[in-house]
Amino acid sequence: MRKLWPALFAIAAAGAAPRNIDFDREVRPLLAARCGSCHGGDKPQAGLAMGALADLLKGGQNGPAIVLGDSRGSLLIQRITGFKAPIMPFGGEPLSDSQIDLLRAWIDQEPAHPIDRLLHLTAAPVSDALFARRAYLDLWGLPPTPEQLTDFPSREALLDRLLADRKNYAEHWISFWNDLLRNDEGVVYHGTRQSISTWLLQALEDNLPYDRFVQALLNPTAPTDPAGFLIGVNWRGDINASQTPVMQAAQNSAQVFLGVNLKCNSCHDSFISRWKLKDAYGLASFFAETELSIYRCDMPTGEKSQPRFLFPELGGVAPDASPAERRAAAARLFTTPENTRFARTAVNRIWKRLLGSGLVEPIDEMDRPPQNPELLDWLASDFVAHHYDLKFLIRRIMTSRAYQAPTVRRLTAEQFADSISAITGEWRLLEPSKPGVATPSREWRLKSTPLTRALGRPIRDQVFTDRNHEATTLQALELANGATLSALLHRGARRLLGELPPSPQNLFDSGIVRNEKVPVDVDISGAPELRLLVVDADSYDRSRVIAGWTEAKLVGPGGATTLPDTTNLRVPSELVFPLTGKGYTRFQGTIVVDKASQQSDINPRVRFFVFDQAPDPEHLVRFGDRKEADSSLLPPSAPLRSRFGAGQAGGLSYLYQHTYARNPTPQELSIAQEFLSSGPEGLEDLLWTLFLSPEFLYLH
Amino acid sequence: MDPFPLPRIPVPALTRRAFLSALAASAPRLLASPTAPRPRADTLILLWMAGGMAQTETFDPKRYTPFEPGLDPNRVLSTFRPIDTAVDNIKISEGLERLARVMDRATLIRTNRVADIGFILHSRNQSNWHTGYAPPQTVACPHLGSVMAKTLGPKNPDLPAFVDIGQNLEIGAESDAIKAFHTAGFLGSEYGPFLIYDPNEAAAAVRPAHLSEDRFRQRYERYSRLLEAQGSAYQQESLARSLNNAHRLLSSPAAQAFDLSLEPKEIYDTYNTSRFGLGCLLARRLTEAGTRFIEVTTEYIPFRYWDTHENGHERTIALKRTIDAPISQLVLDLEERGLLDRTLIVVATEFGRDLIVEGKPEKRVKDQVTVPDRILEPKHYGMHRHFTEACSVLLFGGGVKKGFLYGQTADERPCKIVDKPVSIEDLHATLYYAMGIPPDLAYEVEKRPFHVTKDGKGKPILDLFAQV
Repeated sequence: MRKLWPALFAIAAAGAAPRNIDFDREVRPLLAARCGSCHGGDKPQAGLAMGALADLLKGGQNGPAIVLGDSRGSLLIQRITGFKAPIMPFGGEPLSDSQIDLLRAWIDQEPAHPIDRLLHLTAAPVSDALFARRAYLDLWGLPPTPEQLTDFPSREALLDRLLADRKNYAEHWISFWNDLLRNDEGVVYHGTRQSISTWLLQALEDNLPYDRFVQALLNPTAPTDPAGFLIGVNWRGDINASQTPVMQAAQNSAQVFLGVNLKCNSCHDSFISRWKLKDAYGLASFFAETELSIYRCDMPTGEKSQPRFLFPELGGVAPDASPAERRAAAARLFTTPENTRFARTAVNRIWKRLLGSGLVEPIDEMDRPPQNPELLDWLASDFVAHHYDLKFLIRRIMTSRAYQAPTVRRLTAEQFADSISAITGEWRLLEPSKPGVATPSREWRLKSTPLTRALGRPIRDQVFTDRNHEATTLQALELANGATLSALLHRGARRLLGELPPSPQNLFDSGIVRNEKVPVDVDISGAPELRLLVVDADSYDRSRVIAGWTEAKLVGPGGATTLPDTTNLRVPSELVFPLTGKGYTRFQGTIVVDKASQQSDINPRVRFFVFDQAPDPEHLVRFGDRKEADSSLLPPSAPLRSRFGAGQAGGLSYLYQHTYARNPTPQELSIAQEFLSSGPEGLEDLLWTLFLSPEFLYLH
Repeated sequence: MDPFPLPRIPVPALTRRAFLSALAASAPRLLASPTAPRPRADTLILLWMAGGMAQTETFDPKRYTPFEPGLDPNRVLSTFRPIDTAVDNIKISEGLERLARVMDRATLIRTNRVADIGFILHSRNQSNWHTGYAPPQTVACPHLGSVMAKTLGPKNPDLPAFVDIGQNLEIGAESDAIKAFHTAGFLGSEYGPFLIYDPNEAAAAVRPAHLSEDRFRQRYERYSRLLEAQGSAYQQESLARSLNNAHRLLSSPAAQAFDLSLEPKEIYDTYNTSRFGLGCLLARRLTEAGTRFIEVTTEYIPFRYWDTHENGHERTIALKRTIDAPISQLVLDLEERGLLDRTLIVVATEFGRDLIVEGKPEKRVKDQVTVPDRILEPKHYGMHRHFTEACSVLLFGGGVKKGFLYGQTADERPCKIVDKPVSIEDLHATLYYAMGIPPDLAYEVEKRPFHVTKDGKGKPILDLFAQV
């Protein structure tokens, strides 16, 4: 069988860092001489091998043999000293005091964290404040508020707290998985495609073990399962034989879950890897409803394909198995613990997400040798031993000094946009197309914008395993001069100052209307005026849309007044009727989209509103009370002005802490005060400088 | 000094593998051929007739059949009269009188046969045309303009190398398909299009748009001071460099190229038939200032503009009005400025149209328009179905022949190509050739070669180029 765990038996190389006791020269020979006869070979006693550090860390039936940095807590020491029975070596001469001291001293000299030991890492970690900022952004995708910064228990306890927040964790990590699984919101394809967001969000909130997570993707059986992954992104029309849905399923599952690139060999035998045409078809056959005909470069070969897994030594499925049985077999073969490539690929991806580069690079070529094979294998076996628990893996990595060392990683588009919203309190709204309530929303739930596309939010036609983080001039133009960020900061500055008046709520919202007539009957008692609005909602040709109001009247105790028919209005339109003192209690009428607009190249989509005062054009749809929003998802943002107190230092300190997790220096304070001397505009510009600085855009 | 220096052909990281080296070695051979005409263009303007321009109503007129109630649709090939042009053997459709007068500067290809990819979807055919590859693909394919921006670099470092004018990316159901090819794909966002929707707003895209110039300058000045106060070596960082570049453009004299208000009124008015018309004017200004690749689109929105599913005759009258003056004026303006010889103008579309045939004559696909047995109303009079057998491509400048007709389609339905079909691969190879780029140039992605024409197989049509 292909040896999938070779490195477990590799020897830890001596590190560059100075240490007194060398594992290879002193510890390993001792263990080999005194323990090797039982704890060596193919079947070590109690499942405990002792030939390599990774073996000791992994341990056997009774758990890890050693806890680095803690000789008293290490089972090895407890057993050789007789602290725990049976004393070891079993039935043999006990170790001498000097040998025991050597092992104790070796264990205690090691960094406590297995990752750091395997990396021979002794770098100093960043400060608590920078660690907190990094941890919040990596786990929630949001920067810590000053209050959260102050409430700092310990690094490990903070991680536990952040990981325990199911919602924030899921809202952040879903973008990572969306890239891998080609999932997005607000997108439509002519062809077949199906969102898996509902399932994916739930799976992340529930911390669904990664093996079951992938089983659901590869073998969806329940109606709530994520069928969209295997369906893929397909366009209508004729498709090249190498890009049929099942071939896409094979390519994507091999790439994402196993780090195997089947793209070349979906057309022909690969020139650059060992993969053959029949390997791609063999895997695709697991997902096909019927027997697949093999095409080479889009020409039929006359051959048929049978299901055959990429690593056939792991098993297969009967050629006559039903489609359901084949998908189930694929799910099993991808995720069986014997398929160690599966766990290694996953931990390599999470490692890269948290540290900036993978242990194997490029990240989709897992055939290549890892930079540190022992570490990759240990992380993978640790992940499997902990039941493919993704949060456990993330915590394992984040508790290491390797993670906590200084770094430079750029914020993703989603982290950037969400952080600005969190700091200013100004969130984009997810508006329902039917009458309803708009809800403040994180970036991933909404269509991408020119801003977030410029910052690397991908068009997910293909799998994205590695976003482009380069700074480009086009991106800088968007940041310096783009409408999206500009509007966000304009409102954000005023919201921070408490100067954004609350938007009036509508009395009526038709939702998006195409051609139907909709009756309206609303209470206008005491209203100072009546405003009837029609706005466009993405018609193909808004300039030719005609829509308005008919059979409209104002009703009151003194009788009814009929309003003139206004069915011939161009869109947008706003009609204003003063009402004060007239005693009307109801407005009744019918909304109409004119027949002349019902043409294929106009495709009218409009939305009607009734207000009793001048509306906020940005917020015509009703919006939820901020108090109703999930308080942990959307941290409330008290007006900055209330924090200014004497001078402006209080408010600025708050802003700096939220943005950078530190206080401003006196020099920064004085420049910031120059900005603030010009009111909301000044704050708007100050925010721009804060958000565009490398200290905000990068995790340090 | 050579007025048309050959660009250096980058062969990025291709030496890693023997087979890739062989491929790279073949690249310059084409250019070295002693008898081949020299590439002369350093700028390309793509004028995109989005939605499928009917060839029989524009540049490949057939027998004219006027409207009358009860007309048999099978009799109708053209709903416009053919008109004479400045070239004896070329006739085009009425409504294009100004273009007729500059046909002596044009090479007209009547036999562009686009890919056969089945049931018609505009955005998919457009994607195919703009990248050379029909989606879905295993990697994100770059736009033609991105390939040129990457390969040739900017002509003026203060300006974006690739500017795309006129397309709104939020157009309903096909938005995501449209967005997907308006990118540099795997080449990296640096080579992506600088998007301008409304040419009248172009100046705002490169001038401080949301704040006054003073405020804009002050913001950046304080920003620089704050970064110094933070003590970071920010100048070395790519972020700071990119922001510097952006601010340089935003305060550069070159940015005036984007400002249409600087044009004399009569010139502006000549171009001002539509957003497309003004886009042509902007393209001319950007060409003068040194942008490498400019696309101006009439804009794709399902069922609008050239996507004539009904009322084709009436709508085509209006469409021709929007393109006739600006395209012909663009040719004359560049000629007057001495730029036409090194600027290749390409007027193209994703496919043609026909009243009867949907798809190709020998492979009809699912109809999207119901054609009645008898045409009773004007709304049924026009080319309403999507025809992928043949469409017309018009070229000006950039070293192509003047007053030259290439390829022929039959005079009777189904108006098939009878001579010299031109595939998208060969058409692209021709455009790359004109710009000095070998059509089998490859960029490496995921360790394999990605050729700028499909599989590197495009062959330039050297017959289109004038010998100098």
